[in-house]
Amino acid sequence: MEERTLRWCSPLALSLVMVLAGAPVSIASAEPLEAAVKATFLYKFIAFVAWPPGAFATADSPFRLCVEGPDPFGDLLDRAVAGQSAGGRPIQLMRRPQFEKGSGCHLLYGTLAMDRLRGEPVLTVSDADAPGGSAAGAVITFVLQEDRVRFAIDAAAAQGNRLAISSKLMSLSVRP
Amino acid sequence: MTDLAGFWRHTPRLTLLAMAVLLIAGGLMAVASETAYREEKVGDVEVQTRILAITTTAALSFNDRPTAGEYLTALSASPEFEAAGIYDAGGTLFAAYTAPGMKPVPPMAEPPGHHFDDDTLTVNVPVMQDGHRIGSVSLRTELEPFARRAERYVGMALLLAMTLLIVLVLGAAQAALTRANHDLAERARDLSAANRALNAEIAERERVEAALRQSQKMEAMGQLTGGIAHDFNNLLQALSSCLQLVGRRAKEPSIQPLLETGQQAIDRGAKLVQQLMAFARRQTLRPEPMDVRDRLLGMADLLTRAIRADITLETQVEPGLWPVEVDPTQFELAILNLAVNARDAMPEGGRLRITARNRPVDGAGGDLVQVTVSDTGTGMEAEVKARVFEPFFTTKEVGKGSGLGLAQVYGFTRQSSGRVEIDSAPGQGTAVSLFLPRTVKPVAAPAKERSLDTARGAGRRLLLVEDDPIVGSMVAAALDEMGYAVLRAGNAEEALVLLSDRALLIDILFSDVVMPGAMNGIDLAHTARRLRPGLPVVLTTGYSEDIARTEGVRVLPKPYRVRELAELLEAALGAGVRVR
Repeated sequence: MEERTLRWCSPLALSLVMVLAGAPVSIASAEPLEAAVKATFLYKFIAFVAWPPGAFATADSPFRLCVEGPDPFGDLLDRAVAGQSAGGRPIQLMRRPQFEKGSGCHLLYGTLAMDRLRGEPVLTVSDADAPGGSAAGAVITFVLQEDRVRFAIDAAAAQGNRLAISSKLMSLSVRP
Repeated sequence: MTDLAGFWRHTPRLTLLAMAVLLIAGGLMAVASETAYREEKVGDVEVQTRILAITTTAALSFNDRPTAGEYLTALSASPEFEAAGIYDAGGTLFAAYTAPGMKPVPPMAEPPGHHFDDDTLTVNVPVMQDGHRIGSVSLRTELEPFARRAERYVGMALLLAMTLLIVLVLGAAQAALTRANHDLAERARDLSAANRALNAEIAERERVEAALRQSQKMEAMGQLTGGIAHDFNNLLQALSSCLQLVGRRAKEPSIQPLLETGQQAIDRGAKLVQQLMAFARRQTLRPEPMDVRDRLLGMADLLTRAIRADITLETQVEPGLWPVEVDPTQFELAILNLAVNARDAMPEGGRLRITARNRPVDGAGGDLVQVTVSDTGTGMEAEVKARVFEPFFTTKEVGKGSGLGLAQVYGFTRQSSGRVEIDSAPGQGTAVSLFLPRTVKPVAAPAKERSLDTARGAGRRLLLVEDDPIVGSMVAAALDEMGYAVLRAGNAEEALVLLSDRALLIDILFSDVVMPGAMNGIDLAHTARRLRPGLPVVLTTGYSEDIARTEGVRVLPKPYRVRELAELLEAALGAGVRVR
């Protein structure tokens, strides 16, 4: 099944390249809708990523979704994860100005550079229009394409953080 | 062999059965194959649809239509996929793929499962994410066209066609064979029927020809015999007249015995001639309406004497028997002739049966009365049977029969417009039937005459000398009826032995003139009167009355009636008493 998916990815990637070549990236201002989509995406990423065995203390340890710095989602994120679980684990929202190594985050959204968290089993998500941009070193970077929220996945960063990202998710990745 | 033939006869039926089994098996196999193909196809497509569903989870989750569209477009690599669609959780079409010239998927999601439409198979599979249904995928594939599927059954169809052909050929062959057999059997039947008819015709023709030959032969014999008898009668008449003339003129006493001998020879010749005349149907008949029943019952005593004690006589006469118009004397003679023949055919004894019955005849010819004389004797061979009616044909030893008995029967019945039939086989006895025409004339009652004669000579002892056993029997019976006690002698010598016996009481001698042996009736008369003077003697002869002009000897000319005999005997007895 994985092989099948991968096989389909190559022509997909090629076509994506072609599409991107002729379409310059236009940055639109963040809108409430955009924030809502991103909030949903944050939650949805969980299903396509596998954390290393040591990432959770116990079998029923909660999944920590951390938002660093200014929170662009407000209660949108709370609504998105309300009543949801991550592979059977309850989802715990954490908001701080900054998270360091060992803060126990499994998914971290922030606009700061993410290089400091390299090696930690944390799925770092950033925005392309963040100060660090795509160079911030996040595993996943939100981009806007044709007024739609898409994302780019840095496979190397993911590997560095010992995260296994589903090829299904990989296939949706756009070129940053 | 028979079993094998029986088996082969059932071949068409067996083949039909085998073909039916083959057809059913073929049909079942085709259905099973079709079902298996569809199930396999459903399995295949479902797997592909599931793969697609799993693949599209991310695209659906992240609302990535282009990627979902690209997943679907990848399906175009296989021509069997006609259309595919991805629906979101709300059932709205999210992404679609349609092969060129094909119908697109419906805009709204269908419930999970699969369904066949015409030559397509549609499979709907939900897209699940963490136990949640986030959408569904629909994949429509074309089934292998029926023509290509049917190709798989070509082998079987060929086999079926061959079987059908074989059955048809076999059936046709069997039908042809059956028809041919039937025709053959019919032809054989026709042939055998024709053969039977032919054989029957041949047999009938042979019989008719034989009857014709016999009839012609008898006719020719009759004419010959009649002609000869007539001429002989004339010659004998002339000869007799000559002898009488010679007797009157010759005074030499020694010539008289010679003349008598000559006259005896003429007498014997005349007897034969008379019998020949009877056969040739030239005799003078005196037919009168006659009751066969009365005649036969009246002859009972006569017949009983004519046959031996070891033979039983049965007489059966149908009640209401029709009368016939024949010469009664000749009729009695014919019955007597037959009885004597029957007696001679039964040397070991047996049963003599005389039956008389009516034989109504439809159409021309008129009714007949059948009188049958049958015995349980030796019977006769066909060669003998064919000739028995011929005059002088006899199987009896020389001197025992004249060979004229049946000739008389034949001549009498033919002359009476009747016919004779003889039925006999060796060891089976003989039955001779006289068919006499019925008459409508009333029958005169002759009963009184007979009762008048009866007991006339009561107690008298009469010596009857007669060489012919039939005539002897008849006369003896008549005399017996008159009340005479009759002594019989076959010739003069026998009579002399009886006459010489002094102890034997004899009242009267009645003798024929013409007899075999050294002495004739006249000699016997002389000798008898020497031995017993005064013994009344009555001689009978068909010829010269002059020859017996001896004292005390009376002559009864033949043929005579019983009444005449009775009167003459009475007269002779009366005279004899006076002489004594």
